[in-house]
Amino acid sequence: MKRYKGSTHKRAALLTMSLAFGLLTACGSGNGNDPAAESAATPAGNTPAAENTAEPSKEAAIVEITVWDKPAPDAATKAVAEELQAKFDAAYPNIKVIHEDETQTPEKFLAAVAGGEQPDVFRPSFPKMQEYVQAGIVADITDLINASPDKDRFIDGAFNMATRDGKIYGVPLSMYSTGVYYNKKLFETAGITSLPATWDEFAATAKTVQEKNPGTIGFDILGMDWGDWHFEYYVWQAGGDLTELQPDGTVKLNFTSEATVTALQYYKDLKWTHKVVQSNVLQSFEENNKDFYSGKSAMILGASDAYNTFVGQGMDPSVIGFMPYPVGPAGVGPSQVGGSFWAISPSATPEKRQAAFDYIMFMSSKEAFETRLQFNKDNGLGVNPFTVVKDVDTSNYVEGMPADFLSAIRKAAETQQLEYYLKSSLSPYVVKPIQKVLLDQNADPLTELKAAEQLAQKEVIDKYNTDILSQSGK
Amino acid sequence: MKLESSPPLKALPAPRTRFRIRWTPVLFLLPSIIVFIVFKYYLIFSAVQISLFNYDIVNPPGRFVGLENYFVFLQTSTFWLALKNTFIIFLLSVALTFWVPIVQAIFLSEIRKANGVYRVLYQIPSILPVVAGALLWKWMYNPDSGLFNYLLGKIGLGPYGWLNDINMTKFAIVLPGFFASGGIGVLLYYAAIKSIPAELFESAKIDGCGPWRRIRSLVLPNIRFVILIQFISFMSGALLAFDNIFILTKGGPADASLVVSLLIQRSAFEQSNFGMSAALSFFMFLVIALLTVIQFKLQKEEN
Repeated sequence: MKRYKGSTHKRAALLTMSLAFGLLTACGSGNGNDPAAESAATPAGNTPAAENTAEPSKEAAIVEITVWDKPAPDAATKAVAEELQAKFDAAYPNIKVIHEDETQTPEKFLAAVAGGEQPDVFRPSFPKMQEYVQAGIVADITDLINASPDKDRFIDGAFNMATRDGKIYGVPLSMYSTGVYYNKKLFETAGITSLPATWDEFAATAKTVQEKNPGTIGFDILGMDWGDWHFEYYVWQAGGDLTELQPDGTVKLNFTSEATVTALQYYKDLKWTHKVVQSNVLQSFEENNKDFYSGKSAMILGASDAYNTFVGQGMDPSVIGFMPYPVGPAGVGPSQVGGSFWAISPSATPEKRQAAFDYIMFMSSKEAFETRLQFNKDNGLGVNPFTVVKDVDTSNYVEGMPADFLSAIRKAAETQQLEYYLKSSLSPYVVKPIQKVLLDQNADPLTELKAAEQLAQKEVIDKYNTDILSQSGK
Repeated sequence: MKLESSPPLKALPAPRTRFRIRWTPVLFLLPSIIVFIVFKYYLIFSAVQISLFNYDIVNPPGRFVGLENYFVFLQTSTFWLALKNTFIIFLLSVALTFWVPIVQAIFLSEIRKANGVYRVLYQIPSILPVVAGALLWKWMYNPDSGLFNYLLGKIGLGPYGWLNDINMTKFAIVLPGFFASGGIGVLLYYAAIKSIPAELFESAKIDGCGPWRRIRSLVLPNIRFVILIQFISFMSGALLAFDNIFILTKGGPADASLVVSLLIQRSAFEQSNFGMSAALSFFMFLVIALLTVIQFKLQKEEN
C-alpha cells in the first residue's frame, strides 16, 4: 500500500509541475496501481449500519473513497446534496467519503488520471463516457450491477451509453432531452400564433420576431467551440449523422454527406440570407442563455433542465415556451438525449469499488431522487421531467411549471437520438467549418466540410480505427 | 674563456592550491539548483520519454513507438497551421509590443520630477492577472455590446468583428500587449539606461548630438545586452503563449488563432493523446532553444 501511495503522489506532483511549465509530462515510472495484485483481497462488505449485526464501525476497516461530487459554494442545490451526503455517512459508518469539487472540467479529470489521482467515483457525461471506456479509465462494473437488486429500477436503455461489448461501465445518473425554447411575450408582440414546424417556417418566424421587437435577436445560434453540439441536430433533421459506428467497432465520418452539407447551408442561410442570428456568433453558451433569459433573444436551443437556469435568473416562467425542433428536409426533428453516469476508477481496490458502488446506489435510491425533487419543488428551482429510474414519478414535483411547457417537453422527447459517436475527439474538426460559414459569407459549406473530413480522418479516425482493429485482433 | 652555460633555471613549482569547497555559496545555490533539476530538467527529460510512447495514462508508459509521434504530427496540416499561427502572433507581438517598454524607459529616464510615481504607474498593468485582463478585453471586443465598437461607432467607424473576424483575430489577440506591456521590462531598461555614465551624455551634448542621435548611438548600444536577454524571454513567452489565447478565442474562429500550445492542450486533454502532446512540447522546446542559440551567436559575432 505504501508503494502505491508514494508512486501516486510522485506522479501527481510531476503532472502538476509539467502542466505549469507548459511541457506536458508525467512520471514514466510504473503506476503501482496493480488491481490484479490486489484482487485477491476480499471486498469489505460495506453493509449499511442498520443492517450490521455486530458493531461494524469498530470491527470493519474504514474504507476511504474520493468522490467528485462536492457542490459549488453557490450551487442552488448545495443544501440537499450535503443533506444526502450526511445521510450516507450515517448509514455507512465504515465508508469515509472525501467529497471534491464537482465542477472540475474534463481536462482536470484527465490530468488527475495521468497524475495517478483519479477519483474513485466521478460523473462523466454521455460522450465522455464513450471516450473514457475506450481509454480504459472506467471500471467494468458488470458484476456489481448484475448482483444489485436495483438494476431493474433503471429505465430501459439507460445503460446503453455505458455498455460496450456486453460490459457495463456506469450507473445512469441523469438524462435530459432538448428542443427549442422561445419567448412567448416576444412571439405575442410579433403576432405569431402558430409555432414553426419546418426549417423555412423557423427562419420566417425568427425574422418576424426580430423585426417586430426592435433590438432583439430572432435566434441565438451556437457558433463557439461547442458549436457541433447544436449543429448535429440539424444534420439529424436533414436525415443524417456526423459519424457512423460500424459493426466492427470502427467509425466512419459523414461530414460530406448530403445531410451534413444541407445542414451547414441552412446555418449559413440563417446568418447571411435571413440575418436572424446574433453578430457575436462565437459568444459562449452562457452568453446565449443570458440573451434568452434577459429577453434579448426570442429563440434558443436548450435542454429540458435549462428551465431551472432561466427561472433561477429571474425569468418569468409564464413567458418560457418550449417546442420540438422544426423538421428538416428529411421530415424529422429528433430530440437529443444527453445525460451523465456515475463511474468508478479501474485503479480502485475491490474494497473501494464495493464502497463506491454502495455510495452510488445510495445516491440512486428512490429516497435520494425524491429528496432532491422535493427540494427543487420547495425552492422553486424547477424539475427536469426526465428521470433515469422507473419508480420515481416526476409529475408529482412539477407543480408550478407551466403545463404546456411540460407537454411540449414530453412531445419533443417522443423521437430521440444520441449524440454523434466520438464527439469528444472530433469536435474541433466539426466546429471549424461551422465557424467558417458563420463568419465568412463566401465560404462554401461543401468545401469546408471536405477539408474538415480529410483532416479528421487523418488525425483522429485512422488512428482510432487502427487501435480498435488491433484490440479486436482483426 | 669558455663560458660555462649555467644550468637551466628550474621552473618554480606553481603554488599548490588546495581544492576547497566553500560551503556558504553552495548552500545558497543549492535550493535553486534542486528546483531547476526537479522542476525543469527532469520534466524535459520526462517529456522526451513520454513522447516516445503511445502513452497510456492508466498503465504508463504504454506501447513504445519511437519517433512515431513526431512523424505523425509533422505530417498533419493542423500542426503546420498552428506553427504558422504561432510565428505570426510572435512577429505581430514583436512589431506591436516588444519595443514599447524600451521607449517607455527612455522617456522615463528623461523625467526628473515625480519619476518614482511614473515608475509605479508603469508597474500597475503588470499586477493585473492575465486571465482577468483577457476577460476584460474579450468583453471590450464584443461585436454587439463591446466598448470598442461603441466608441468607434461614435466616430462613424465599424462595427468590427474583432475576435469574430478570421482576418482580425491574431491582431486582436496581440493588441492588449501594446497597452499593457510595461511591467518589469521598463524597470530593467530604465536601470540599464541609468547605469550609462552621465559624462557620456554630457560630452555627446557638447559634441552637438541631438536626442535621436543620443538614443541611437549611446543609449541603445549600451543597453543592448538587456535588450537581448529581454528578447529571449519575450520570444519564449510569445511562442508558448497559452492563457490569453485560450480565454480570448480558444484557437478559433475556425482555427485562425490555433497555436502550438493550444494544440498541446488539445492533444492531451481533448484527444487523450499524451504521447503526441509531449512530442509537440519537446518540439517547441527545441525550436525555442535553437532560436536562443542563434540569437546569442549573432550577438557574439556582432561584438
